[in-house]
Amino acid sequence: MTEDYEVEFIERGDRHARFLVRGVTPAFANGIRRAIIADVPTLSIDTVRMVENSSVMFDEQLGLRLGLVPLTTPLGEFEEGDTVTLSLDVSGPSTAYSGDLVSSDGMVQPADDNIPIIDLKDDQRLELEADAVLSTGKDHAKHQGGVAVGYRHLQRVEVLGDSDEYGEEETNILRGVIEEDGELVPTEEFDHDLTNRYPGKEIEVHDVPNAFVFDVDTDGSLTVDEIVTAAAASISDRADELEQAVQL
Amino acid sequence: MVVGEYWEEFKARSETKEGDEDPEKVLDELGVERQCCRRMLVSHKDLVDIVAPYQ
Repeated sequence: MTEDYEVEFIERGDRHARFLVRGVTPAFANGIRRAIIADVPTLSIDTVRMVENSSVMFDEQLGLRLGLVPLTTPLGEFEEGDTVTLSLDVSGPSTAYSGDLVSSDGMVQPADDNIPIIDLKDDQRLELEADAVLSTGKDHAKHQGGVAVGYRHLQRVEVLGDSDEYGEEETNILRGVIEEDGELVPTEEFDHDLTNRYPGKEIEVHDVPNAFVFDVDTDGSLTVDEIVTAAAASISDRADELEQAVQL
Repeated sequence: MVVGEYWEEFKARSETKEGDEDPEKVLDELGVERQCCRRMLVSHKDLVDIVAPYQ
Protein backbone atom coordinates (compact mmCIF):
# COMPACT_ATOMS: atom_id res chain seq x y z
CA MET A 1 0.00 0.00 0.00
CA THR A 2 1.56 3.24 -1.08
CA GLU A 3 -1.52 5.31 -0.29
CA ASP A 4 -1.91 6.72 3.20
CA TYR A 5 -4.53 5.13 5.35
CA GLU A 6 -5.84 5.94 8.77
CA VAL A 7 -7.69 4.08 11.48
CA GLU A 8 -10.19 5.54 13.91
CA PHE A 9 -11.95 3.60 16.67
CA ILE A 10 -15.66 3.96 17.25
CA GLU A 11 -15.88 1.27 19.91
CA ARG A 12 -12.91 -0.46 21.43
CA GLY A 13 -12.99 -3.40 23.81
CA ASP A 14 -10.95 -6.54 24.37
CA ARG A 15 -13.35 -8.81 22.57
CA HIS A 16 -15.39 -6.46 20.44
CA ALA A 17 -14.48 -3.35 18.52
CA ARG A 18 -15.68 -1.15 15.69
CA PHE A 19 -13.21 0.94 13.77
CA LEU A 20 -13.06 3.00 10.64
CA VAL A 21 -10.30 2.50 8.09
CA ARG A 22 -9.83 5.13 5.40
CA GLY A 23 -7.81 4.94 2.24
CA VAL A 24 -8.03 1.22 1.52
CA THR A 25 -9.56 -0.51 -1.47
CA PRO A 26 -12.56 -2.82 -1.09
CA ALA A 27 -10.24 -5.71 -2.01
CA PHE A 28 -7.85 -4.86 0.81
CA ALA A 29 -10.69 -4.48 3.31
CA ASN A 30 -11.93 -7.91 2.35
CA GLY A 31 -8.38 -9.24 2.57
CA ILE A 32 -8.22 -8.09 6.18
CA ARG A 33 -11.57 -9.67 6.94
CA ARG A 34 -10.54 -12.98 5.44
CA ALA A 35 -7.17 -12.93 7.17
CA ILE A 36 -8.86 -12.37 10.55
CA ILE A 37 -11.11 -15.36 9.96
CA ALA A 38 -8.85 -17.83 8.23
CA ASP A 39 -5.21 -16.88 8.71
CA VAL A 40 -4.64 -15.91 12.32
CA PRO A 41 -3.85 -19.11 14.20
CA THR A 42 -5.30 -19.91 17.62
CA LEU A 43 -4.84 -22.83 19.99
CA SER A 44 -7.58 -25.40 20.18
CA ILE A 45 -7.81 -28.93 21.57
CA ASP A 46 -7.14 -31.39 18.78
CA THR A 47 -6.19 -34.72 20.35
CA VAL A 48 -7.81 -36.28 23.41
CA ARG A 49 -6.59 -39.26 25.41
CA MET A 50 -9.47 -40.59 27.47
CA VAL A 51 -8.48 -42.14 30.80
CA GLU A 52 -12.03 -42.67 31.96
CA ASN A 53 -15.31 -41.69 30.37
CA SER A 54 -18.36 -43.13 32.06
CA SER A 55 -20.56 -40.17 31.03
CA VAL A 56 -23.57 -40.49 28.72
CA MET A 57 -21.65 -39.22 25.70
CA PHE A 58 -19.14 -40.92 23.46
CA ASP A 59 -15.46 -39.99 23.56
CA GLU A 60 -15.58 -38.32 20.15
CA GLN A 61 -18.63 -36.23 21.06
CA LEU A 62 -16.74 -34.87 24.04
CA GLY A 63 -13.67 -34.42 21.83
CA LEU A 64 -15.69 -32.15 19.54
CA ARG A 65 -16.97 -30.10 22.47
CA LEU A 66 -13.48 -29.73 23.93
CA GLY A 67 -12.16 -28.54 20.59
CA LEU A 68 -14.72 -25.73 20.53
CA VAL A 69 -13.53 -24.25 23.85
CA PRO A 70 -11.51 -21.12 23.02
CA LEU A 71 -8.06 -21.06 24.62
CA THR A 72 -6.09 -17.87 25.22
CA THR A 73 -3.27 -17.79 22.69
CA PRO A 74 -0.24 -15.62 23.44
CA LEU A 75 1.04 -14.05 20.21
CA GLY A 76 4.52 -14.95 19.11
CA GLU A 77 5.07 -17.65 21.72
CA PHE A 78 4.09 -20.58 19.54
CA GLU A 79 4.71 -21.77 16.02
CA GLU A 80 1.97 -23.36 13.99
CA GLY A 81 1.82 -27.02 14.94
CA ASP A 82 3.10 -26.51 18.51
CA THR A 83 1.07 -28.21 21.22
CA VAL A 84 0.08 -27.52 24.81
CA THR A 85 -1.26 -30.24 27.09
CA LEU A 86 -4.35 -29.78 29.23
CA SER A 87 -6.10 -32.17 31.57
CA LEU A 88 -9.58 -32.57 32.96
CA ASP A 89 -10.73 -34.67 35.89
CA VAL A 90 -14.30 -34.33 37.14
CA SER A 91 -16.39 -36.84 39.09
CA GLY A 92 -20.19 -36.82 39.31
CA PRO A 93 -22.58 -35.72 40.50
CA SER A 94 -21.45 -32.43 38.97
CA THR A 95 -20.99 -30.71 35.64
CA ALA A 96 -17.64 -30.57 33.89
CA TYR A 97 -17.00 -26.99 32.74
CA SER A 98 -14.37 -25.50 30.46
CA GLY A 99 -12.98 -23.85 33.60
CA ASP A 100 -12.14 -27.30 35.00
CA LEU A 101 -9.49 -27.75 32.30
CA VAL A 102 -6.04 -27.57 33.85
CA SER A 103 -3.35 -26.28 31.52
CA SER A 104 0.33 -27.14 31.61
CA ASP A 105 1.11 -23.62 30.38
CA GLY A 106 0.02 -20.63 32.44
CA MET A 107 -0.41 -18.43 29.35
CA VAL A 108 -2.83 -20.88 27.78
CA GLN A 109 -6.15 -20.98 29.62
CA PRO A 110 -9.79 -21.44 28.63
CA ALA A 111 -11.03 -17.99 27.54
CA ASP A 112 -14.41 -18.66 29.17
CA ASP A 113 -14.84 -20.71 32.34
CA ASN A 114 -18.55 -21.51 32.29
CA ILE A 115 -18.96 -23.50 29.09
CA PRO A 116 -20.64 -26.77 30.10
CA ILE A 117 -18.90 -29.83 28.65
CA ILE A 118 -20.98 -32.63 30.14
CA ASP A 119 -23.32 -33.15 33.07
CA LEU A 120 -22.13 -36.08 35.18
CA LYS A 121 -24.48 -38.16 37.35
CA ASP A 122 -23.55 -40.27 40.43
CA ASP A 123 -20.74 -42.71 39.71
CA GLN A 124 -19.97 -41.07 36.38
CA ARG A 125 -16.51 -39.73 35.87
CA LEU A 126 -14.51 -38.00 33.18
CA GLU A 127 -10.75 -37.99 33.16
CA LEU A 128 -8.71 -37.08 30.14
CA GLU A 129 -5.58 -35.50 28.81
CA ALA A 130 -5.78 -33.29 25.74
CA ASP A 131 -3.32 -31.67 23.36
CA ALA A 132 -4.16 -28.23 22.03
CA VAL A 133 -2.49 -27.37 18.75
CA LEU A 134 -1.85 -24.00 17.11
CA SER A 135 -3.50 -23.87 13.71
CA THR A 136 -5.59 -21.62 11.46
CA GLY A 137 -9.28 -21.27 10.66
CA LYS A 138 -8.46 -22.54 7.17
CA ASP A 139 -7.64 -25.89 8.77
CA HIS A 140 -10.64 -26.15 11.07
CA ALA A 141 -13.31 -23.65 12.13
CA LYS A 142 -12.45 -24.24 15.81
CA HIS A 143 -9.21 -22.34 15.18
CA GLN A 144 -11.05 -19.20 14.04
CA GLY A 145 -10.34 -16.39 16.45
CA GLY A 146 -12.72 -13.93 14.82
CA VAL A 147 -16.47 -14.29 15.22
CA ALA A 148 -18.85 -12.60 12.76
CA VAL A 149 -16.19 -10.31 11.33
CA GLY A 150 -17.52 -7.86 8.80
CA TYR A 151 -17.28 -4.39 7.38
CA ARG A 152 -19.48 -1.92 5.60
CA HIS A 153 -18.96 1.38 3.89
CA LEU A 154 -18.90 4.52 5.93
CA GLN A 155 -21.87 6.52 4.71
CA ARG A 156 -22.82 10.13 4.50
CA VAL A 157 -26.26 11.66 4.29
CA GLU A 158 -27.02 14.38 1.79
CA VAL A 159 -29.98 16.63 2.50
CA LEU A 160 -31.71 17.40 -0.79
CA GLY A 161 -34.40 19.65 0.65
CA ASP A 162 -37.66 19.49 2.55
CA SER A 163 -39.83 16.47 2.03
CA ASP A 164 -43.35 16.71 0.70
CA GLU A 165 -45.34 18.69 3.26
CA TYR A 166 -48.27 16.34 3.28
CA GLY A 167 -46.24 13.28 2.42
CA GLU A 168 -46.34 10.37 4.77
CA GLU A 169 -43.45 10.24 7.20
CA GLU A 170 -42.06 6.75 6.70
CA THR A 171 -39.23 5.20 8.62
CA ASN A 172 -35.89 5.18 6.83
CA ILE A 173 -33.76 2.48 8.41
CA LEU A 174 -29.99 2.52 8.10
CA ARG A 175 -27.52 0.43 10.08
CA GLY A 176 -23.88 1.30 10.36
CA VAL A 177 -21.99 4.52 10.88
CA ILE A 178 -22.57 7.83 9.15
CA GLU A 179 -20.22 10.74 8.76
CA GLU A 180 -21.59 14.16 9.52
CA ASP A 181 -19.24 17.17 9.17
CA GLY A 182 -16.29 14.97 10.05
CA GLU A 183 -18.06 13.47 13.07
CA LEU A 184 -18.72 9.74 13.14
CA VAL A 185 -22.23 8.92 14.27
CA PRO A 186 -23.23 5.27 14.84
CA THR A 187 -26.82 4.77 13.71
CA GLU A 188 -27.69 3.44 17.20
CA GLU A 189 -27.73 7.07 18.29
CA PHE A 190 -30.96 7.70 16.39
CA ASP A 191 -32.38 4.21 16.69
CA HIS A 192 -31.18 3.35 13.16
CA ASP A 193 -33.93 5.60 11.73
CA LEU A 194 -32.83 8.52 9.58
CA THR A 195 -36.22 10.25 9.98
CA ASN A 196 -35.34 10.76 13.66
CA ARG A 197 -32.15 12.52 12.67
CA TYR A 198 -33.47 14.48 9.69
CA PRO A 199 -37.18 15.04 10.33
CA GLY A 200 -39.07 16.46 7.40
CA LYS A 201 -36.10 16.35 5.05
CA GLU A 202 -35.62 14.63 1.77
CA ILE A 203 -32.30 12.81 1.95
CA GLU A 204 -29.99 10.59 0.00
CA VAL A 205 -27.41 8.21 1.47
CA HIS A 206 -24.03 7.83 -0.21
CA ASP A 207 -21.13 5.48 0.45
CA VAL A 208 -17.88 7.26 1.29
CA PRO A 209 -15.32 5.83 -1.13
CA ASN A 210 -12.54 3.71 0.33
CA ALA A 211 -13.74 4.14 3.91
CA PHE A 212 -14.81 0.98 5.73
CA VAL A 213 -16.22 0.42 9.17
CA PHE A 214 -15.06 -2.93 10.52
CA ASP A 215 -16.96 -4.82 13.17
CA VAL A 216 -14.74 -7.40 14.85
CA ASP A 217 -15.75 -9.82 17.57
CA THR A 218 -13.36 -12.43 18.95
CA ASP A 219 -13.96 -15.67 20.82
CA GLY A 220 -11.54 -14.57 23.55
CA SER A 221 -8.50 -16.49 22.33
CA LEU A 222 -7.00 -13.19 21.18
CA THR A 223 -7.97 -9.57 21.78
CA VAL A 224 -9.31 -7.51 18.88
CA ASP A 225 -6.06 -5.53 18.73
CA GLU A 226 -4.01 -8.71 18.54
CA ILE A 227 -6.13 -10.41 15.92
CA VAL A 228 -6.29 -7.40 13.59
CA THR A 229 -2.56 -6.65 13.77
CA ALA A 230 -1.77 -10.34 13.27
CA ALA A 231 -4.10 -10.42 10.25
CA ALA A 232 -2.41 -7.38 8.71
CA ALA A 233 1.01 -8.94 9.40
CA SER A 234 -0.04 -12.18 7.72
CA ILE A 235 -1.06 -10.30 4.56
CA SER A 236 2.23 -8.42 4.61
CA ASP A 237 4.20 -11.66 5.06
CA ARG A 238 2.44 -13.29 2.15
CA ALA A 239 2.99 -10.24 -0.05
CA ASP A 240 6.72 -10.41 0.77
CA GLU A 241 6.73 -14.10 0.01
CA LEU A 242 5.09 -13.45 -3.35
CA GLU A 243 7.59 -10.71 -4.14
CA GLN A 244 10.47 -13.08 -3.39
CA ALA A 245 8.91 -15.83 -5.46
CA VAL A 246 8.48 -13.75 -8.60
CA GLN A 247 11.91 -12.12 -8.50
CA LEU A 248 14.43 -13.18 -11.07
CA MET B 1 -17.97 -15.32 22.41
CA VAL B 2 -19.20 -18.86 22.89
CA VAL B 3 -22.92 -19.14 23.68
CA GLY B 4 -22.32 -22.06 26.05
CA GLU B 5 -20.74 -19.56 28.43
CA TYR B 6 -24.18 -18.03 29.10
CA TRP B 7 -26.23 -21.21 29.32
CA GLU B 8 -26.17 -21.79 33.08
CA GLU B 9 -27.10 -18.21 33.90
CA PHE B 10 -29.77 -18.08 31.22
CA LYS B 11 -31.25 -21.35 32.48
CA ALA B 12 -31.27 -20.11 36.06
CA ARG B 13 -32.91 -16.78 35.23
CA SER B 14 -35.28 -17.26 32.29
CA GLU B 15 -38.95 -17.95 33.07
CA THR B 16 -39.02 -20.37 30.15
CA LYS B 17 -36.47 -22.50 32.03
CA GLU B 18 -35.98 -22.44 35.80
CA GLY B 19 -36.11 -18.73 36.63
CA ASP B 20 -38.75 -16.03 36.69
CA GLU B 21 -37.37 -13.33 34.36
CA ASP B 22 -38.30 -12.36 30.82
CA PRO B 23 -35.91 -14.28 28.52
CA GLU B 24 -35.60 -11.28 26.19
CA LYS B 25 -34.34 -9.09 29.02
CA VAL B 26 -32.01 -11.79 30.33
CA LEU B 27 -30.38 -12.19 26.91
CA ASP B 28 -30.03 -8.41 26.55
CA GLU B 29 -28.37 -8.18 29.95
CA LEU B 30 -26.04 -11.06 29.17
CA GLY B 31 -24.97 -9.24 26.01
CA VAL B 32 -26.16 -12.02 23.70
CA GLU B 33 -27.19 -9.74 20.83
CA ARG B 34 -27.25 -11.69 17.60
CA GLN B 35 -30.46 -13.58 16.93
CA CYS B 36 -28.47 -16.59 15.78
CA CYS B 37 -26.88 -16.72 19.31
CA ARG B 38 -30.18 -16.01 21.05
CA ARG B 39 -32.07 -18.82 19.34
CA MET B 40 -29.44 -21.33 20.51
CA LEU B 41 -30.20 -20.54 24.16
CA VAL B 42 -33.95 -20.02 23.77
CA SER B 43 -34.51 -23.30 21.96
CA HIS B 44 -32.10 -25.50 23.86
CA LYS B 45 -33.35 -28.40 25.95
CA ASP B 46 -31.08 -30.36 28.25
CA LEU B 47 -31.50 -34.03 27.38
CA VAL B 48 -28.81 -35.61 29.55
CA ASP B 49 -31.27 -36.10 32.42
CA ILE B 50 -33.63 -37.97 30.11
CA VAL B 51 -30.94 -40.17 28.59
CA ALA B 52 -29.01 -40.86 31.80
CA PRO B 53 -31.18 -43.73 33.18
CA TYR B 54 -30.71 -45.78 30.01
CA GLN B 55 -26.94 -45.80 30.10
